[in-house]
Amino acid sequence: MFFHIVLERNMQLHPRHFGRDLRDKLVAKLMKDVEGTCSGRHGFIVAITGIESVGKGLIRDGTGFVTFPVKYQCVVFRPFKGEILEAVVTMVNKMGFFAEAGPVQIFVSNHLIPDDMEFQSGDIPNYTTSDGSVKIQKDSEVRLKIIGTRVDATEIFCIGTIKDDFLGVISDPGATS
Amino acid sequence: MGSIEPFNRLVKLAARAFYDDITTKGENQPKTGRSDNRGIAVVILDALTRRQWVREEDLAKDLKLHTKQLRRTLRFFEEEKLVTRDHRKETAKGAKIYNAAVAATADGQQTGREGDEKLKMHTHSYCCLDYAQIYDVVRYRLHRMKKKLKDELESKNTVQEYICPNCSKRYTALDALRLISPYDEYFHCESCNGVLVAESDKLAAQELGDGDDNARRRRHENLKDMLTKMEEQLKPLIDQLARVKDLPVPEFGSLQAWELRANAAGRSVNGDLNANDPSKSSQGLGFGGTPMPYVGETKVEVAFSGIDQKGENVKSANSSAPMKVLPPWMIKEGMNLTKEQRGETKVETKGGSLTASELSDDKKSTTANDDAKNIQDEYVKAYYAALLMRQREQEEAVKKEQESGNAAMSNEAYNTSTERQVGMKSKREDDYEGDDNEWEEAPPTGGTTEHFKVKDLNVEAEASEDDEDDIDWEEG
Repeated sequence: MFFHIVLERNMQLHPRHFGRDLRDKLVAKLMKDVEGTCSGRHGFIVAITGIESVGKGLIRDGTGFVTFPVKYQCVVFRPFKGEILEAVVTMVNKMGFFAEAGPVQIFVSNHLIPDDMEFQSGDIPNYTTSDGSVKIQKDSEVRLKIIGTRVDATEIFCIGTIKDDFLGVISDPGATS
Repeated sequence: MGSIEPFNRLVKLAARAFYDDITTKGENQPKTGRSDNRGIAVVILDALTRRQWVREEDLAKDLKLHTKQLRRTLRFFEEEKLVTRDHRKETAKGAKIYNAAVAATADGQQTGREGDEKLKMHTHSYCCLDYAQIYDVVRYRLHRMKKKLKDELESKNTVQEYICPNCSKRYTALDALRLISPYDEYFHCESCNGVLVAESDKLAAQELGDGDDNARRRRHENLKDMLTKMEEQLKPLIDQLARVKDLPVPEFGSLQAWELRANAAGRSVNGDLNANDPSKSSQGLGFGGTPMPYVGETKVEVAFSGIDQKGENVKSANSSAPMKVLPPWMIKEGMNLTKEQRGETKVETKGGSLTASELSDDKKSTTANDDAKNIQDEYVKAYYAALLMRQREQEEAVKKEQESGNAAMSNEAYNTSTERQVGMKSKREDDYEGDDNEWEEAPPTGGTTEHFKVKDLNVEAEASEDDEDDIDWEEG
């Protein structure tokens, strides 16, 4: 799920940036530092949408670096248990398949794939129904439900299922191309 | 009482199944024996099945409950979407409207209420069962229960576990990312690089610590037991749901709408002598649907002999179908109708306005309003019994005629019925009279239909005659 929230961060800025465009430099560095990171609490920081406020800088003794407390608005993405996501399959193996929904990696084990889908090894490993009408392989898009998340300080990993109503392949790249 | 009965049964079953041990006390309050109010929820729901819209104070009084307690339970039910509530500020006058509505629907069976002549503005709350929603809520609840148990049983939404056969280190699917190897399609143990195997009959991985095989098996057993037990114990409820499935849901509408209808109906029931123009007083709302008052309990038993008894039987035999009051001319023999549908109340209104006016001539002083109503009731019932029989005959006759290919005859038969629609009001009485003389003696033949038709046509003039007949009936 996406959220638009305000976060705060202490930015250390090198003295060489002190000048007219100190603020721009600060923001650029913030974006570089923060976007794409993941915190266990808030999820993935997708993008910074604005700066709320920049506090008073504090000069560090000895180094000359200055610390600014910066409040910024950003879009974060945090997967939740029970959430339905659409994801792109990245890898298929005997144990199940991996998929990505944006920055989040999701593993769907073969127990959570409908029973009528069989693993087919070969050049392009895939899961296929007995009549061959539905096929899950690399780059397939699937709709899945998250049934478990593991949230570390810097990483979120999910396991999902497609063994439920309205879940499974939503478009087959083999069929369209 | 018709099609609300299955729904009431549903409510009662659901109450006993799910709300039996609901206590409305907060967690922090000491649970002494006295404050233990479990079961009250069931009592309240049961009471509500016997009412329509009811003011909460009145309900509390009837149940001898404290208003606060009742309100707390009702709020709970509102959250559970079993009841709809309405709050409004009203003066004594507003209360009177409601009282009138209740009186109108109570059919003279006023339940221990008093006048409540309050002059202050008070916020009154009203509540009413929401049958449509109850049906859905119960179904949803059952569905969720079953789904949850089944999911657990099939370990559908549980986290897969993997185990290393060499060092018996265990992993869960959440570790999958670290376990994949670039060389083959299996998971490999982090410590010994052995190929992991999926743990097969695993259950409810929420209890990751509890890896003991026995415990797991026990758990499985427990789940299975629970599922079968659930199915067993909730069977009556499920059956009732199935029974109710195709029935139209009784609908009371919002409080205001209900009051309006009830009041209007009540006015005409009570024989509004001035508004003797029935087309104005009753017809407008009559066909739309007069509300069924206090549905569960108002039952007027008429101990008649002969015809009426038969009529009763027919009615009860057909008692499972839509709640709308059907206009009498729409009632055909094959229909499943309840008494309410037959428009008991409504017809009372019709008959009421007529008979009441007649009665007023000689009996006004002696007959109380209630008596008049009872008489009307009985009269109406008898009338309907007769009407039903007659319609059946008519239809049979029509059938026969059609069989014999006598198109003209059947047309005529139909004509009679349409005729009745048009001139219904006054003719009705006559129909009745003609009928119940007729159907007992005359076997259903084409000839009879003809006969009826003739009667129907010269109806208007006979209306007065009918009344005497009517009164005789009551007294005899």
